[in-house]
Amino acid sequence: MNSKERVMAVLNHQKPDRMPCFGANSTVTYEQMEKVQAFWPEGHLKGETMAKQAMAAHTVIGFDAVRVPFCQTFESVALGCTYKPGANLEAGEGIPGIEHPPPHKLTDTPVFPDDFLSRGNIPELLKAVRILKKEVGGEVPIIAGIVGPFTIAGSLLGAVPILKATFKAPDKLRLFLDVGEKAGTALAKALIDAGADIICCEDMTASPELIAPKTYRDLELEYQKKQFDAISVPKILHICGNVDGIVEWMGETGADILSLEPKADARLARNKCGSNIILLGGVDTATTLFMKDAATVQAGCEESIADGIQILAPGCAVAPGTCTENLLAMVEVAKSH
Amino acid sequence: MKVLQDFSNIFKRYDIDNEVTDGARQVSKDAVLQEIAKYVVEGDDEGIGDVVKKALETKPPLDIINDALVAGMSEVSRLWEEGAYFLPQVILSSDAMSVGIALCEEAMGKSMDRKAPVVTHTAEGDIHDIGQVIVNALLTANGFEVIDLGADVPVDKVVAACKQHKPVMVTGTALMTTTMTAFPKIAHQLKAAGLAIPFVCGGGAVCEEYVTGFELGVWGKEASQAPGMAEDALVGESWESMRSKWNG
Repeated sequence: MNSKERVMAVLNHQKPDRMPCFGANSTVTYEQMEKVQAFWPEGHLKGETMAKQAMAAHTVIGFDAVRVPFCQTFESVALGCTYKPGANLEAGEGIPGIEHPPPHKLTDTPVFPDDFLSRGNIPELLKAVRILKKEVGGEVPIIAGIVGPFTIAGSLLGAVPILKATFKAPDKLRLFLDVGEKAGTALAKALIDAGADIICCEDMTASPELIAPKTYRDLELEYQKKQFDAISVPKILHICGNVDGIVEWMGETGADILSLEPKADARLARNKCGSNIILLGGVDTATTLFMKDAATVQAGCEESIADGIQILAPGCAVAPGTCTENLLAMVEVAKSH
Repeated sequence: MKVLQDFSNIFKRYDIDNEVTDGARQVSKDAVLQEIAKYVVEGDDEGIGDVVKKALETKPPLDIINDALVAGMSEVSRLWEEGAYFLPQVILSSDAMSVGIALCEEAMGKSMDRKAPVVTHTAEGDIHDIGQVIVNALLTANGFEVIDLGADVPVDKVVAACKQHKPVMVTGTALMTTTMTAFPKIAHQLKAAGLAIPFVCGGGAVCEEYVTGFELGVWGKEASQAPGMAEDALVGESWESMRSKWNG
């Protein structure tokens, strides 16, 4: 089987020739950039470079999918947040973010702009997907990332204000969640038109490490369901950290795949969400993949597989300083299952 | 035979313990102080002003700070550690406590006596100072003077603040692996400046091996450890002895 057949087999609940291995989040590293001679910040800004870097996941590491983009700024910037280029760090160029202060206050009425898809850097992201489709689309699934409603709302309002609002004025958040949902959905549809096979929704700020589980259930779940209803291709839902307190609701969103960090209990996820949900995960990207050696990475992967993980993956976005050897070690484990 | 009249509890879900709102313990036998503590526990930063002002007519400001505001925040800290409270509640309670402390300090005509300064910051490149917000709240509640540098703080600024305030401890929070590389640089510059201050580093991406890999570094596993560590630093424990106590 090629990578595409392998991943589609798992999505169709059929038996693949072996376990697929790829990242639901960014897997770009400085070493891969060297290998394919495509670097940041261009990789965040230019469609051609972005596609080149994404392809390294398959050509250099051997992952069963390619993934764009490598940051979480596209929707927020198109909605009025200020783009903050990655810091120039000793190890290399960092990951872009959102400049503070945020553009909105809780009393504002945010608007979803008609020209959303031509705003900010979205056209370059769509271009990257079209290039990937042309270059590897036949054999390798293309994962395109969007950001979840709550996380976009968090960029529009700022992290601390949105957290406070979850208790003080949850209803005022609905306008922002609505705009966040529309933004992610519109982007997802455009990405699918450009050639994306799978949509991965990253919703970092909806983690129980930041908000109360009941906030996820009472506020975010409805918007996530609405968004996934509108997306025609398979969907991955990624929420960082230990999601045990919300995993049963994550299973109700309509996601085909839940991307879990090792901090989350995969057995509990299986128990709460049933046999139809596909579980993706593997090792912690900071404490294991970045810090430890290949043997530790492999042991971590085996443990996750024993817990019911069906697609092997870094638990979250890969730290750009991660060594190639540790990523290759993951693929080796997948090949033996 | 005992006949069950009320079926509501049968359907209570014991697997979800995250909706606890009435699990707070009483922190003061004094009704006035308990009322203020309740506003802290409930994170009501709008309502607390009036009750504190009212209390100041009959109570010494310092009693209100220690036995109501700080005591209430300690209770919040306990609820958070037990998993009954989540981050937004801790932030709101911390705000309510701060409103109350400011009013009491105004009544005293001076700032409350603090044990010692602690400099806190979130690493350059990291814009979410979430973990640090909790560290600040817990240190304040435990009587330390928090020099809050905020998020996305360059190395030089942290070092300059340490030179200026001579803190007993400095903390750094990083959510991302890409930003924690600033920590060894800070430690190095502090050392070079002759400031061997325990440098407690923690946050999402930060692990023990990394922090104990540079001088002055003490790994903070949980925000809730911050007050205990600051107490150690206050009595003069070195970073080496703090590291051997809290890490490894």
